[in-house]
Amino acid sequence: MTDAPTTDRWIRYLNLLQLALAGIIILAPTVWMVLSSLKPSFEVTAYPPTLVFTPTLENYVQLMKTTPFASYAVNSLIVTIGSTSLGLLFGIPAAFAVSWTRVSWPAILTLAARMAPGTLFLLPWYVMFRQVGMIGSYTALILSHAVITLPIVIWVLLPSFDGIPRSVYEAAQVDGCSVTRILWRIALPLVGSGIAVAAILAFVFSWNYFLFALVLSNGDSKTLIAAAFNFIGEGSTQWGALMAAATLIALPPLILAALVQRWLVSGLTLGAVKG
Amino acid sequence: MSDAAATLTQDRQRLELSALSAPAVIFTVAMIAFPVVYTIWLGFQSFSSTGKQSFAGIANYSKLASDYEFWHGLWITIALYILALVLQLVFGVWLALVLFHAKRLPGIVRSMFISPFMMPPVVAGMMWLVILDPSLGAANYILQSLGLPPSEWLASPTWVIPTVALIDSWQWTPYVALIVLGGLQSLPPSVYEAAQIDGASPFKTFQRITLPLLLPTIVTAAILRSVDLLRFFDIIYITTQGGPGNASNTLNVYGFRVGFEFFNIGYASALMLTLTAIVFGAVLAFNRLRGAVAW
Repeated sequence: MTDAPTTDRWIRYLNLLQLALAGIIILAPTVWMVLSSLKPSFEVTAYPPTLVFTPTLENYVQLMKTTPFASYAVNSLIVTIGSTSLGLLFGIPAAFAVSWTRVSWPAILTLAARMAPGTLFLLPWYVMFRQVGMIGSYTALILSHAVITLPIVIWVLLPSFDGIPRSVYEAAQVDGCSVTRILWRIALPLVGSGIAVAAILAFVFSWNYFLFALVLSNGDSKTLIAAAFNFIGEGSTQWGALMAAATLIALPPLILAALVQRWLVSGLTLGAVKG
Repeated sequence: MSDAAATLTQDRQRLELSALSAPAVIFTVAMIAFPVVYTIWLGFQSFSSTGKQSFAGIANYSKLASDYEFWHGLWITIALYILALVLQLVFGVWLALVLFHAKRLPGIVRSMFISPFMMPPVVAGMMWLVILDPSLGAANYILQSLGLPPSEWLASPTWVIPTVALIDSWQWTPYVALIVLGGLQSLPPSVYEAAQIDGASPFKTFQRITLPLLLPTIVTAAILRSVDLLRFFDIIYITTQGGPGNASNTLNVYGFRVGFEFFNIGYASALMLTLTAIVFGAVLAFNRLRGAVAW
């Protein structure tokens, strides 16, 4: 049995090697995107591709100069923050009530949006929003994106509320607290971290969502994601600016997700897995 | 407290709880349930090029049966679905095992692993469009350096679907891995100890013990991925818009284009309701499977 520790060590090395391989495959494309965005324009399309170059911000400057990038970003922020707030406003009390009563159909109803293809809702929304002249309005975009954020908020918060012991509620009721008061004064402070995760996930998925803004936004209200098309349209010679746009669009969700990485996967599986 | 007073408090409580979930329910009915009913109605309408609307009966659905693009889209959707799902489950389980044996997972490594699926699919599409460019992309340069023939990737009618499946798998394999890792970590250590005492090889242990115990978790991951894969849209629409030709025209992309490029709202409604039925059918089937492999 003298060689057992040696075998163990080899297994460990082999495992680290596989981990490194997976890490390279996962990271390399993103690193390449960021590197390309920092290359001088003549070097972005160089073949063979170069790895060593003098980094420059000229692609970012060009992007800001030639496209209304900043105003697209403001549109994205308005829609994302608006729909996240709406999701929290409706989702927090609903998750609390579902957790309290154990009547789950309201939570399951909101899941329908997670399962059906977005175009299924987009067709009637388009017809209805057009009739009332709301195509291109922030209201239409925020309402449609709240369909994404609401189920995330409810399903992330359900396990948090479930974790509060019943005795806490009962004690408050003996003191004469109404249900609504228990939610705001007692339950809410106890699920603070759950609300942070819910808000961040809702923000990320609303920010990333493509389909609705593609049809419901117009020139003035175009979000960054919907405008991504315009950046591609500029042709393959503009790779530097395209990669600069891609990097900037990906930055907010990546930073936010890193903040809550530990709780993120259990939140993302809508309660199906406790990670 | 008297009985009457207690009932009164309980009624009040029930009312308050209903009021708390009411905004979410009303919002969902207004934004989803009502529009879906409207879509069902739209599916029986036909819209002329001038926007005039008339009752069409089941014409939209009988058109479906004879529409080559529909059957082609269905085939593309299923091919992409199976290819991507198998890739993500196989490599996801592999990656989960690697992560599980690494024991400690620093936050920075975890952040790295979630970065592909936290970035917008649209950004992933833009990024890979540049990497996979047939003439100047880094991917073909690497292939050629290794002595392999270059590929047309997204520009090839044959390879566009496998390429899209690869891009999506790059994004979502780490997600499957983290779900499966959660399942691995919740397995009782005693089962491994028993296997070790019996002298089972690592491979046998995986095949006979770990895999069967993990199946419910894997099926859960499969359900979550199925819902997204059957509705595949973002990466295709940003990179190929269904092309080259119609080679990546999945049902969701086709339905979107019928609705918002050709403005045939009635036929697009019929297409989307059919796709919705397929998604719900897949979820129900997997749910049954999950019941069958539960322990």
